[in-house]
Amino acid sequence: MEEKIGVYVCECGPNIADNVDIDRVMKTISSLPDVDVVERHKLLCSENGKKFLKESIQKHGLTRIVVAACSPKQHEVTFMKVCEEAGINPYFFQLTNIREQCAWIITDKELATERAIRYIRAALRRIPFHKALVKKEIETNPDVLVIGGGIAGMEASLLLASGDRKIHLVEKTDVLGGKVKELDKLLPRMESSLDIISQRIQEVKQSEDIKLYTNSEVEEVLGFLGNFVVKVKTGENKELELRVGAIVVATGFSMLNLKQLPRYGYGQYDNVYTALEFERMNIDGKILRKDGKPPKSIGIIHCVGREERGYCSGVCCMYCLKFANYIKSKLPDANVTEFYQDLSIPGKARQKFYEDTKAKGVNFIRSNEVEVMDKVIKYKTEEGEEKTSSVDMVILAPAIEPSGDTAKLAEMLRISQGDGGFFQEEHPKLAPVSTSMEGIFIAGCSQGPKNIPESIVQAQAVAGRILSSLIPGKKLEPEIKTSEISEALCIGCQTCLEVCTYGAIYFDEMKRVSVVNEVLCRGCGNCVGSCPSGAASVKHSTTTQLHQEVVEALR
Amino acid sequence: MDNRNILVIGAGVAGINASLSLADSGRKVYLVEQTSYTGGTVIKFEKVFSNLECATCMVAPKQQELLTKENIELFTITEVLKVEGSLGNFVVKVKKRARYVDLKACIGCSACFEPCPVSVKNEFEEGLSERKAIYIPCPGALPNVPAIDTENCVRFNGKDCKLCEEACMFEAIDFEQKDEEIELKVGAIVVATGFSSLDPKEIPKYGYRKFSDVYSALEFERMFASNGPTTGEIKLRNGESPKSVAIVHCVGREEKGYCSTICCMNSLKFVHYLKEKLPDVKISEFCSDLCIPGKSYEKFYEQTKTMGVDIIRFDDIAVKEEEKGMSVKYKIDDKGGSLPVDMVILSPALEPRKDASKLAKILGISQDEHGFFAEKHSEIASVETSREGIFIVGCAQDPKDIQDSVAQSEAAVGKILSLGG
Repeated sequence: MEEKIGVYVCECGPNIADNVDIDRVMKTISSLPDVDVVERHKLLCSENGKKFLKESIQKHGLTRIVVAACSPKQHEVTFMKVCEEAGINPYFFQLTNIREQCAWIITDKELATERAIRYIRAALRRIPFHKALVKKEIETNPDVLVIGGGIAGMEASLLLASGDRKIHLVEKTDVLGGKVKELDKLLPRMESSLDIISQRIQEVKQSEDIKLYTNSEVEEVLGFLGNFVVKVKTGENKELELRVGAIVVATGFSMLNLKQLPRYGYGQYDNVYTALEFERMNIDGKILRKDGKPPKSIGIIHCVGREERGYCSGVCCMYCLKFANYIKSKLPDANVTEFYQDLSIPGKARQKFYEDTKAKGVNFIRSNEVEVMDKVIKYKTEEGEEKTSSVDMVILAPAIEPSGDTAKLAEMLRISQGDGGFFQEEHPKLAPVSTSMEGIFIAGCSQGPKNIPESIVQAQAVAGRILSSLIPGKKLEPEIKTSEISEALCIGCQTCLEVCTYGAIYFDEMKRVSVVNEVLCRGCGNCVGSCPSGAASVKHSTTTQLHQEVVEALR
Repeated sequence: MDNRNILVIGAGVAGINASLSLADSGRKVYLVEQTSYTGGTVIKFEKVFSNLECATCMVAPKQQELLTKENIELFTITEVLKVEGSLGNFVVKVKKRARYVDLKACIGCSACFEPCPVSVKNEFEEGLSERKAIYIPCPGALPNVPAIDTENCVRFNGKDCKLCEEACMFEAIDFEQKDEEIELKVGAIVVATGFSSLDPKEIPKYGYRKFSDVYSALEFERMFASNGPTTGEIKLRNGESPKSVAIVHCVGREEKGYCSTICCMNSLKFVHYLKEKLPDVKISEFCSDLCIPGKSYEKFYEQTKTMGVDIIRFDDIAVKEEEKGMSVKYKIDDKGGSLPVDMVILSPALEPRKDASKLAKILGISQDEHGFFAEKHSEIASVETSREGIFIVGCAQDPKDIQDSVAQSEAAVGKILSLGG
């Protein structure tokens, strides 16, 4: 079919007209073959301008539109809407920027005018190659799989569960509550941890909309946002298939294995405990040495494994201060010394806790080198002096690490691991709980070391993401400008599978070609750049379209 | 909830994020912002730690989306006057001040600035440059539409000046606009009003405003900003480039009684700023305890250390006058030292906004001992408040970085949407 092409030049008041000779632009463009209509307007984005554009498109029965105006960031959407209203596909439209990239930056009017003409010609050259793109809709399942029954997993489950959204909560162990259940008191008010966690566990168990699977593990995850198919191996050794629309990973953390760091004497000397062992001792009610007597002098060592792991675990300083409080309340006369590197006590409430703790007679020694010997802590002061301190109990604060099954889960879920081996968020600032895989979210310490309030906030944030995007009964509208891979040109090398950040390409073993899942693809173009046979292209930025435009722009 | 509409107060990164998510879910959102622009404090930054991404490039797509989103009604230069009712049925009265420029007609060409006879200090630029009485705070501000500052505009002070109106090709200037009181009915409220920075002048030992080349972190941020008053050139008041710079952490920490969380990382970021523009500059970071928690920040610290910076620990510090210029005097334990420098950058404590107590009263929510809005429970309910249906997010609740502010904004969305309705 012969295309009918219209060009509309916006003067943008004086913004373009003052520095671009619109008359000359009109004359030159009108003289080009294949251009049917050339019009100008004082301000095309105004109500009046939009009406003019719509009526002109309809009057002339145009099939392709070029608008020469401002940056696409400013008004591309505006004019695409006008095209739609005029009854033509919005992708049969091209906006070329003769304001920011021309009138505003080129002082010589002659030059700016020539440049504007060049830009319009480039747009005209590509527009016959545009294809109509149409919005798609896919059905979705609103149910959610939550992996991990700790405080974050439970919080997310409770917020997400409702009459029209079922939650499948899969927990590896036989109990809910995760690490919080192993703590005696919670900072900073020293409330009973068990009281708080028990209440949550109760709520989860009582919810009719949460199906709980303990002693269970996720074995396989297929599918994509809105339509995941998950295989779960349950405690009764049964294999279940679940269908969900989104997945929340709240698998928590592990503590660094202290056997890796023999200088702290763990497992070698008596009365050297890990933080969680010391919590246990306090839950049981008594702080006692192995010989059954209360300790007289206790050293609490911060930052155990920080250097080896390469990050600060964020929570240890505060719980080490809490430990000093445990001791001072049970054994007021015991001598307590905290060996620390840098005190990390951010936020409005923590410094007070530190000062209150200090006021209870707790000693603080700054040292970057600490070693545990039998009943003695050897340390180097900041001035490089070697000193010792006699102790009859040592508590170690080991670094927080990704939990043991992180790598396995990352592979299964097709999400990546970032700094420290923790699950990688989609964006470190603006998207902390989503991942590169749409529909898969991370919360709590599986994303990075954090304290209880931060873990809960992340779990609530995941609920926010899911509740606002996966709405029961509402269809999803995936990205339109996705990539596509030509079956005829694909040589089956699978390079695109490696470079795709979004897990949006799969390999069709029967046909031996790569195929794009349009629900997951975000049109980034990684596959296009890496495809050796030119089979991959991004819709609306196809190689042909870009090539035609660039050739004309450089002519 | 009886009423599904939501009021969000504050159009910084947390408020924008909450508004967009709520609108995605199909809720109508009223977003009320005190200033004439969106983006909050983050858009004052040239880059964010620790990936050194351009801050405005990061936020601009969100700001743009906000302006085009159907379900969001943005009220700029607007403040909340009164809140009545309860969860599901709040009645809120807001005062929307006149902008005197038609948001629809204006295209942001800035032709009206030049003829304006007024020149005053630009608050957005921390007073480092001047603006007119009709102005956009910085290039790239959104909405890209100026506002008239009636306090300084000569027309609103008795003179018959209409130079801006004459300069406008689009008849966008409208002196007849009036302030309006508007009643909004909403089911829940998200408070995302951000923070203020402590004025270092309150603590004389830092020499702020006594020495001309002692800057606050935000001043330095604007000095480095490519859209700022020096278009990114780092220079002393005498126009020369600094040869030695001291960056002082924890300014006001002792006085405020808390660690502001973000200053260590922000101060380390300044090393990158300085080395990018002035590779030979000598830099000293004066810190107490380094607060760089989490999986990514220590890596940034280690990387920064290799760029050539002295990290000096102090218990006490002051900026003193020297025969030629100034020096930083510091003490640790019984030792100490003195370092002559050309420029000092202070990292002041984050504090509640000046109007926090007024807003707390209007909202009927409590404040903590420092004046931040108080959460319902610090461990398990940090975005909820003492008043059901009112949520607090971002630095209005507690000093925090962008990631944690965004997480809280999403958390408030999660809490609100889980109520159903």
